[in-house]
Amino acid sequence: MNGEVLIDVQGLEKTFEDGNRVLRGISTQIRKSEVVAIIGPSGCGKSTFLRSLNLLEIPTGGRILFEGTDITDKSVDVDKMRQKIGMVFQQFNLFPHLTIRKNIMLAPTKLKLMNKQEAEKRALELLDRVGLPDKADAYPAMLSGGQKQRVAIARAMAMNPDVMLFDEPTSALDPEMVGEVLEIMRELAESGMTMIVVTHEMGFAREVATRAMFIDEGVIKEENHPAEFFAHPREQRLKDFLSKVL
Amino acid sequence: MSFTERFSLNFIESNRYRYITAGIKNTLLITVVAAAIGILLGFLIAIIRSTHEKTGKLKLLDLICRLYLTVIRGTPTTVQLMIVYFVIFSSVDRPLLSAFIAFGLNSAAYVAEIVRSGIMSIDPGQMEAGRSLGLSYRATMAYIIIPQAFKNVLPALANEFIVLLKETSICMAISLRDLTYGTSLISSQTYDYMFPLLLGAAIYLFFVMLLTWLFGKMERRLRQNER
Ligand SMILES: Nc1ncnc2c1ncn2[C@@H]1O[C@H](COP(=O)(O)OP(=O)(O)O)[C@@H](O)[C@H]1O
Ligand SMILES: [Mg+2]
Repeated sequence: MNGEVLIDVQGLEKTFEDGNRVLRGISTQIRKSEVVAIIGPSGCGKSTFLRSLNLLEIPTGGRILFEGTDITDKSVDVDKMRQKIGMVFQQFNLFPHLTIRKNIMLAPTKLKLMNKQEAEKRALELLDRVGLPDKADAYPAMLSGGQKQRVAIARAMAMNPDVMLFDEPTSALDPEMVGEVLEIMRELAESGMTMIVVTHEMGFAREVATRAMFIDEGVIKEENHPAEFFAHPREQRLKDFLSKVL
Repeated sequence: MSFTERFSLNFIESNRYRYITAGIKNTLLITVVAAAIGILLGFLIAIIRSTHEKTGKLKLLDLICRLYLTVIRGTPTTVQLMIVYFVIFSSVDRPLLSAFIAFGLNSAAYVAEIVRSGIMSIDPGQMEAGRSLGLSYRATMAYIIIPQAFKNVLPALANEFIVLLKETSICMAISLRDLTYGTSLISSQTYDYMFPLLLGAAIYLFFVMLLTWLFGKMERRLRQNER
């Protein structure tokens, strides 16, 4: 692997208030333009790991260096850091009171990164890119699940992030809509976006990802190039998991 | 006495209708000013309390707010009004100002609880989406959470302001000439209770229906986005 290191995770731990030790020392490096697919059994801490990367969960141990800065340090401007890390949620989380156009324009304009005209132009470009040029003035409730998720991707991209996190982006979708979202993600990956994707879509992990990562029992049990990862899993737990999901 | 004679006695002679018009003016003025105070202060309290509930911050402010809500909601509005007029402003005769303050502070307590429940009912994913875009807690509240919460609680807020309008009828306790006190002053001069009281009731009903209609219209306007 070459390319500069964007995120350097060092011994990341997370124990919830109820004493549940979910992450038990995760260390990995994410490089520019990598597409990392994270898989693992439900409840193993995939979301917790992903959400720790932009501090939606506060780690209880270890360090996360984002572009060289330790973001677990109290003095770091969390909002500034999050502007560079896009996030796409399983439940889309579009803003229901705003039109699609305004959903996309909100953060860039309120954060004064763009003026209205620039943000508007960017919003329309992005809607075009995710195949929804005619939905600018619709409200989220008028869209299908697949369309909502494409808008959510456009909204995250409007901030021109350096990396995008996806937490099971297709899990809440009807089967016939999974393809359209994965297609957008594939194009995004091909454009060079650095992506970390928690997913149950093994096809996506195999074909689009540059690295597959298996999280289990609070640690990274195995990670490898997808071809190798799926063809020759080494860990017994991964073999069992793959035999169940494939 | 015929209907027209009674009408004339109660409202025309000695320009008694002026008790009604001046009363309406005061009743509406108190309602509007108190509602404005109630909204401003109520939203502030709601934001403090829900922020504390969600993040654990603002502990002291939350405690003060809770104390405030307990006292206001645990005592009769009439007593609050009299305390403001006879105790706090005892040295000056400011009935209208007392009413603004007493009803405003009272309304704030009820608005606060309505708005807080509205904020707490918004999906946590909305806050996460806002924050993950790099918006601050404050900006996410202002542009994402509050507008949605406001829309959800509009019917309850409308109800609170209708209650407020009707509750101003206790102003007699501080000799403030609102609509109700106005009608009672007419009765004391004409010894007729039915006419002035029925007219007063009809006027309250009219304003309540007007408010209901206005809020309904506002609500439909805000809701049409959603389907
Ligand atoms: N806020 C929380 N408080 C307490 N426990 C939590 C919280 N969030 C997640 N967990 C627990 O942490 C574990 C991992 O959750 P999660 O990261 O969502 O798993 P995954 O995404 O792999 O399905 C689960 O046991 C879950 O119940
Ligand atoms: Mg999850």
